[in-house]
Amino acid sequence: MTTIPEQRTTTGAHTGGRNLLLDPGMDLTLRPMRYPRFFDRFRDAIRNTWTVEEVDLHSDLADLGKLSAAERHLVSRLVAFFATGDTIVANNLVLNLYQHINSPEGRLYLSRQLFEEAVHVQFYLNLLDTYVPDERERFEAFAAVENIPSIARKAEFCFRWIDSVFELRELRTREDRRAFLLNLICFAACIEGLFFYGAFAYVYFLRSRGLLHGLASGTNWVFRDESMHMAFAFDVVETVRAEEPDLFNAELEQQVRDMLAEAVECEAQFAEDLLEQGVSGMSLSDMREYLQHVADRRLAVLGIAPMYGSRNPFAFMELQDVQELSNFFERRVSAYQVGVAGSVSFDDDF
Amino acid sequence: MTVTRERTVVPEQRRHVMQVRKRNGDLETVDVNKIVRAVERWVADLDEVDPLRVATKTISGLYDGATTAELDKLSIQTAAELIGEEPQYSRLAARLLAAYVDKEVRGQGVASFSQSIRYAHERGLIGDQTAAFVARNARKLDDAVDPDGDLRFEYFGLRTVADRYLLRHPETRLVVETPQYWLLRVACGLSETPGEAIGFYRLMSSLAYLPSSPTLFNSGTRHTQMSSCFLVDSPKDELDSIYERYQQVARLSKFSGGIGISWTRVRGRGALIRGTNGKSNGIVPFLKTLDAGVAAVNQGGRRKGAACVYLEPWHPDIEEFLELRDNTGEESRRTHNLNLANWIPDEFMRRVEADEDWSLIDPSDAPELPDLFGEAFDDAYRAAEKKAVRTVKARDLYGRMMRTLAQTGNGWMTFKDRSNRLSNQTGASSPSHKGNTIHLSNLCTEILEVNNDDETAVCNLGSVNLGAHVTAEGVDWEKLRSTVRTAVVFLDRVVDINYYPAPQAAASNPRWRPVGLGLMGLQDAFFTLRLPFDSEQARELSTRVQEEIFLTALETSAGLAERFGAHPAYAETRAAQGDLHPDLWGAQPSQTERWASLRSRIAAHGLRNSLLVAIAPTATIASIAGCYECIEPQVSNLFKRETMSGEFLQINTFLVRELKARGLWTQAIREQIKRTEGSVQGIAELPADVRELFRTAWELPQRALIDLAAARAPYIDQSQSLNLFLAAPTIGKLSSMYLYAWKAGLKTSYYLRSRPATRIQQATVAAVSPTAVTPTAVVPAAFAPAAFAPAAAIPILAGPDAEALACSLENPESCEACQ
Repeated sequence: MTTIPEQRTTTGAHTGGRNLLLDPGMDLTLRPMRYPRFFDRFRDAIRNTWTVEEVDLHSDLADLGKLSAAERHLVSRLVAFFATGDTIVANNLVLNLYQHINSPEGRLYLSRQLFEEAVHVQFYLNLLDTYVPDERERFEAFAAVENIPSIARKAEFCFRWIDSVFELRELRTREDRRAFLLNLICFAACIEGLFFYGAFAYVYFLRSRGLLHGLASGTNWVFRDESMHMAFAFDVVETVRAEEPDLFNAELEQQVRDMLAEAVECEAQFAEDLLEQGVSGMSLSDMREYLQHVADRRLAVLGIAPMYGSRNPFAFMELQDVQELSNFFERRVSAYQVGVAGSVSFDDDF
Repeated sequence: MTVTRERTVVPEQRRHVMQVRKRNGDLETVDVNKIVRAVERWVADLDEVDPLRVATKTISGLYDGATTAELDKLSIQTAAELIGEEPQYSRLAARLLAAYVDKEVRGQGVASFSQSIRYAHERGLIGDQTAAFVARNARKLDDAVDPDGDLRFEYFGLRTVADRYLLRHPETRLVVETPQYWLLRVACGLSETPGEAIGFYRLMSSLAYLPSSPTLFNSGTRHTQMSSCFLVDSPKDELDSIYERYQQVARLSKFSGGIGISWTRVRGRGALIRGTNGKSNGIVPFLKTLDAGVAAVNQGGRRKGAACVYLEPWHPDIEEFLELRDNTGEESRRTHNLNLANWIPDEFMRRVEADEDWSLIDPSDAPELPDLFGEAFDDAYRAAEKKAVRTVKARDLYGRMMRTLAQTGNGWMTFKDRSNRLSNQTGASSPSHKGNTIHLSNLCTEILEVNNDDETAVCNLGSVNLGAHVTAEGVDWEKLRSTVRTAVVFLDRVVDINYYPAPQAAASNPRWRPVGLGLMGLQDAFFTLRLPFDSEQARELSTRVQEEIFLTALETSAGLAERFGAHPAYAETRAAQGDLHPDLWGAQPSQTERWASLRSRIAAHGLRNSLLVAIAPTATIASIAGCYECIEPQVSNLFKRETMSGEFLQINTFLVRELKARGLWTQAIREQIKRTEGSVQGIAELPADVRELFRTAWELPQRALIDLAAARAPYIDQSQSLNLFLAAPTIGKLSSMYLYAWKAGLKTSYYLRSRPATRIQQATVAAVSPTAVTPTAVVPAAFAPAAFAPAAAIPILAGPDAEALACSLENPESCEACQ
């Protein structure tokens, strides 16, 4: 967009309040701030900055040699998914989300998210270059969206939802806005919130067996970022719900349920591929139960009744909810903050 | 407490089809009862364990056609995964693992300790001397193995032992010793008679004392490098010396040593190099090389090499030094594998306090500064200031140090003057050296020993498990004395048997014979006695325990001196002048008579060891012993350890016992503890005194940690690895805290622990409180931030606004104080 459209309103405060988050336009005004929560998320995200160089993949190479054939198959499929997963999310962010979330502080967060997606892409690029020394195999991994049916199926799901709003330049009608919400929810709940969560489960499963710590520590940081992305997207949904409650009707709810059900099936068929040779400690039925459990949680956040009533079968995922205490001899502690405020004084409480 | 049986039903679709492949290749249908029986063998004293639960859960993770070995491993894993619900499963998992290891050892035809030693000796793993010693005394030693010894391990401890400490067959990588054989092997490697070996083995097997990891790794083997710490003086300000240090560090690292190395003598950026008439690039490029060198050395596959670089704050490159661990900026000026520490003279702290200027001086202009401390340093520094490269505000530099601590946890604050003035080794100038100076501490900031260009200081360590010497009635002082006596004898022995990877280390250790007897499980003792960590009684107990340990250690060393003579450098020590460590502090010991009689013994025969006590972090051995680390408060009532062996849930068993006694060990409370990341401050059903007892390190006033450390310090002749904890550090808090630590007289401090700014969305804790919402309930559609906060990634806010929010218990997710 090079010219500011006629109908742009500067701030809600000056136009009697009729300026909603999804209204078309290019709001540039940060004060008074309409959505300070988005700005807080932007600042929190900055404090979690990490770089790919901090992840040490060294010990992973030795582990790769120790894997069984079944586990190797799992890992190679997994990295093939990672090779393009974040790029798809980044594209949707630029092509669809940024355009329509008309709040400068919201766009600050999205800019930050875009940076994080880029770091993730770089991390997985680095991972593949390290894990897959053979150049031809590496090319194949990056072409997974075309070559590997179980990944192609997931990609097709993503592309369909990208395309669903791609033609929309502005969200003028309710139907436009509902289409946008579905895209937003799809990427938050199904792609970042389910596909990635499925992938993380495999990584953490391997780590719980003492394998691939480098991948796990990078994933830890990716996971932390993705949690934030999802939380921001749900914040947007709730903000829109508060501003335009009538957008949320039974039809939209049913569409969300259908979408999540399809996402669960997509991810389950991916699991079938990954686990086809049998991996002890991670059965296909447990994986399906886990995915259903995650899907239910996404629905709960959206205020929609659960579809499955499944429980989390993976104890190693429960470990992810517990604070870590790294032994400094073994790995870098990931818990430190980037921005620290204040100046020298001698009478602060501690 | 009843064990939940809700998930013990075998899923229908799998009940008929699941098969396992036995070791002989036959397929066999999985039989729940068989797994149940295998588990039941081990649960006689574990009344809360449900074998059927383990069996069914194991089967649900199995795939059709898995091997029985996979089944065995999976049942261990399954038991381990239930620890968060019931800590007794930790014992069960440990026993299943012990049985698995036992099978592996016996499978190679090894049926006794002496056979294990012979088998390992034939494969080049055991030293000839130890092999001969065991062969001579085979029957006595075989009979000494305690069949119940393994029952004392918790899962995480035994897993660590099995994965990293037990000797492995060089080709098959199968373990060739059981955990008990391992401890007996360690004892034999340090013993002269079978009686001595058996006594030391029993002490270790009871988990009341453990030597440090290098001793546990290497005693009795072909490479008997058993020391933990090496303190290397700064390279001289010349290229050859720098490259010699790289080689020395690599050799020390290879044999499991942790390294402290100073870099203060090397000139800074922009200083003139006369030989080539060029300008120096400063210390950073050299440290980058050191960084790569340390990362390349893998300590026998067991852990990565580790080093800490020390720099005095008047060095002109100090600011770049403080940025070495930043995760942004130019990679060629970053060292992700090195730890960093500031070696701070009092003059700097005084100028910080008085808000004065601070001069940065190139060491090539003032080469004497690293060797001076106290007034001699102050005078020389002030004289050198006219040659200063640059002047900064002392507070600005101090602020940067605090920033580094907050952002990286690194850049430890260690105090040069205090460390030197209160050291037994800096009593006099030796004839061969200009003077004895401590130039740095070690990788974990608990060792303080003199060194120089030709002598690298060495220390071998071990730690008493205080938890094993305390009952609800109090401390078993006689047992503690007995443990310390045995410990000191065997620490001293390491000095003679040790293999020294570098000639500089071999030159120093026999002269000074320093050892570092430490302590772990202080928190266990406080829990057992129900003393809040910051209470007056806790401080008194910790001080008295430390006095007892130090006094007994000195008595034992005096006894060794009576038999074998004082250590060769004794005349250079303060003890030789009649000053013992508490005297240097002006402390008033409680056991006056024993101290008086000790003094006369020392006056007559001297001491066998120049230094005796140092409190190391005990990261790994505390895990093996199943106690809290060294002198630290618990970090959380529920936390996770990530190690090379995998991830492990650690739960506060003292708390679980308390909750069970009150009927509060329920699913809802467990979820609540998990949601608050291991805090119990929000559990209203617990009385205030219980909540006070079970505060975590994040919830304790850090002032108390410093006060406890200062109170016990007169009885620690080296130092202590003191971590400090601030969930959301600010420069203001940090600068106040470290000034207080300096004024309290601490010689050193260690990591600053802080928390991530945000954390991962919890994957398994119910999004909203399970009591508030049934599975089919719908979250209100209206935008309600409080209702949505728990589902989001939780930002932990910083700044004054966050402080106000911090204590709101209704909003535990944004509470930083209680997490």
